[in-house]
Amino acid sequence: MGFREINSKMVEATVMPGQRLFSQRGAMLAYQGEVSFTPNTAGGQGGLMSMIGRRVANEDTPLMTVEGSGTVLFGHGGHHVQVINLSGDTLCVEADRLLAFEGTLQQGTMFLGSQGGVMGMVRGQISGQGLFTTTLKGHGAVAVMAHGGVFEIPITPQRPVHVDPQAYVAHHGDVRNKLSTALGWRDMVGRGSGEAFQLELSGNGAVYVQASEEKL
Amino acid sequence: MFRLQGSKVLAVDMTGDAVKAKNGSMVAYDGQMAFKKMSGGGEGLRGMVTRRLTGEQMTMMEVKGHGTCWFADRASEINLVSLQGDKLYVESSNLLATDAGLRTGTSFTGMRGASQGNGLFTTTVEGHGQAAIMSDGPAVVLRVSSQYPLTVDPGAYVAHQGNLRQSFQSGVTFRTLMGEGGGEAFQIRFEGDGLVYVQPSERNTIAGDV
Repeated sequence: MGFREINSKMVEATVMPGQRLFSQRGAMLAYQGEVSFTPNTAGGQGGLMSMIGRRVANEDTPLMTVEGSGTVLFGHGGHHVQVINLSGDTLCVEADRLLAFEGTLQQGTMFLGSQGGVMGMVRGQISGQGLFTTTLKGHGAVAVMAHGGVFEIPITPQRPVHVDPQAYVAHHGDVRNKLSTALGWRDMVGRGSGEAFQLELSGNGAVYVQASEEKL
Repeated sequence: MFRLQGSKVLAVDMTGDAVKAKNGSMVAYDGQMAFKKMSGGGEGLRGMVTRRLTGEQMTMMEVKGHGTCWFADRASEINLVSLQGDKLYVESSNLLATDAGLRTGTSFTGMRGASQGNGLFTTTVEGHGQAAIMSDGPAVVLRVSSQYPLTVDPGAYVAHQGNLRQSFQSGVTFRTLMGEGGGEAFQIRFEGDGLVYVQPSERNTIAGDV
């Protein structure tokens, strides 16, 4: 199981009976075999409460359930696709960047304010993430979309990484993030270097960064 | 010191030294970095006057520190150019980063600049070190020697280096005036000895319409 990269913008997934996949609605390009696509009004897993949670959090990107047996090709909008394999840790990603993920993963919504309180909310606003972000936890594979190529930077306790909020895609592992500012008097008088806000990620894990400062 | 991570991301390892990069092009860094805005067109009062007059306002920043810094801009392909005392001519919007030791300036391009839709001035990079230039799609490097002059479409031209003379060619004929042109009315011809970087995509130029 898992996702196989056909090229940088397309992934192939094998579906088998009893194993479900979730994907962004409309992201299917082609399929072989007996595969059914069911729109998922709940926007993902969990009961009514998680659905309400996602609605409130504005993380309710329309998803569909993919079931049956066969192979399915996914791709969307010509964006680059990166496959991330999770083995027990948690991936934080914006819902609209999710292309597809395996049903074995547990989906949840995280309130950014829970990490760093008010500054967490400010950070969400500045990085365009909003106040909430989607988490995926467990064992399985996730296909994430990004504009331009994606590269991975490992984070270790000795090596915190700073990321441009617009180029941030996702992160996994035991990572704390906080907004660091490099605001000086130059920014106030309009002579800033364009790098006033950065996400500082520290802990243990990895961050995925795209080669562009454009949102999807 | 400059290395490519994939084809669209430039990684720069720094140990207390500095690089110049396009404003806002940093995507990530580790270690300690400081960002400071600079202005193109050369240093000092003379540079300021040139910038005002030419409109070739390249807003760049100086990045200094210890660690690795990653740069990228709108998913453009990145090409590394190493300079050994020669001069690189590049449009400021195509310049991503240079070593701090390289001098940047402005030069007059004449009709070529106008035909590219980029204005009459272009940026020059001079000295010993490395520079990173951006192109829409992977660029090809074409060698020009005295026996083999090269003619390129102004919209696909990215940069050139070496000892090259450029002239502006027009293929405007009676047919063009009648609206029957082939879309290749203007070209730039390079003669001499050097390298020309060409991208597999054409900017919108006047030449493309006639």
